[in-house]
Amino acid sequence: MICPEMEVRLNEYVDDTLAARERAAVEAHLAGCAACRAAVPELRRLIAGARALPRSVEPRRDLWEEIAARIVGRQRTFWRGALAAAAMLTLVVGLYRLLPPSTALYHPAVQGWAAVQADYEQATQELSGPLAAQRCRLRPGTVALVARNLGVIDGAIRESRAALLRDPANAEIESLFAAASRQKVELLRWATRVAAS
Amino acid sequence: YREHVGRVYALCLRLTADAGRAEELTQDAFVRAWQRLASFRGESAFGTWLYRLTVNVVFLSRRAERRRVQRVFTSDDPAALEQRGDRAAGLDRGLTLDLEQAIAALPAGAREVFVLHDVEGYRHAEIAELTGIAVGTSKAQLFRARRLLREALNR
Repeated sequence: MICPEMEVRLNEYVDDTLAARERAAVEAHLAGCAACRAAVPELRRLIAGARALPRSVEPRRDLWEEIAARIVGRQRTFWRGALAAAAMLTLVVGLYRLLPPSTALYHPAVQGWAAVQADYEQATQELSGPLAAQRCRLRPGTVALVARNLGVIDGAIRESRAALLRDPANAEIESLFAAASRQKVELLRWATRVAAS
Repeated sequence: YREHVGRVYALCLRLTADAGRAEELTQDAFVRAWQRLASFRGESAFGTWLYRLTVNVVFLSRRAERRRVQRVFTSDDPAALEQRGDRAAGLDRGLTLDLEQAIAALPAGAREVFVLHDVEGYRHAEIAELTGIAVGTSKAQLFRARRLLREALNR
């Protein structure tokens, strides 16, 4: 049995973390104490045994299937959330379109889809210039978000335009085109306002 | 997964002394690694990152469990040690060596520090950071673990 007052010192001695003077003091004690002297090789064997334990132990069963299922489950949860968010966005856009026009929102001063198209294109060009000039004042995350949303809206505008070329008299497609164009102008107005503030 | 599962499981098994819990924690560690893969910056070897993450998973789970059951092993009583040793030996088929069984029978705090320091090679400062204990407590738990192990192995 180690002398109780020597337990800490002996452990630090075998760990080789003692200063030279303390190390010499421990060695002086060891010279006169058989029990502590016997404990040193025991401690060293124990530490060597711990270091020599197998680094790898195979589980009793294959755990991968459950891990993969949990990873896939989390991804499904993510997509469920994303789809719910998309559904909510669709609902909000739908409600927005049902509400009476607000004076705060952009509305073209002309009628007919060709005139509307020209008007929105002009508005878009007028806003794109200042936004490009002040783009550096926006945070990179905001720039990326605006670019991503513009990409989505431009895709919708392109599709509406192509559909109108195939079916020029379709009033519903005209409305879709106008809605997408209005969203683009609103997004550009918002970004320009934020960049200028 | 195949390359690291044995090491991750061994770590969980030695830290918990419970094969079933070690399996759960191994799964938790791999799921957490998957989620955090983007945070792996390549500053250390992937294995080093994964094993550190595993230790975090084990200790986070233990803290949550502690809050749930408010039960802490603090016994130095050899009879209690022996009792837990029998239970651990019965539960863990993977632990066949005397030393493995003796480690599994240690009180939780002493076992965790011994596994991290003497088996895994972490320093006391790292253990303190990982487990939330003081460096002095880490040393005290290590020396206590070595004393209990020497007693158990000499019996």
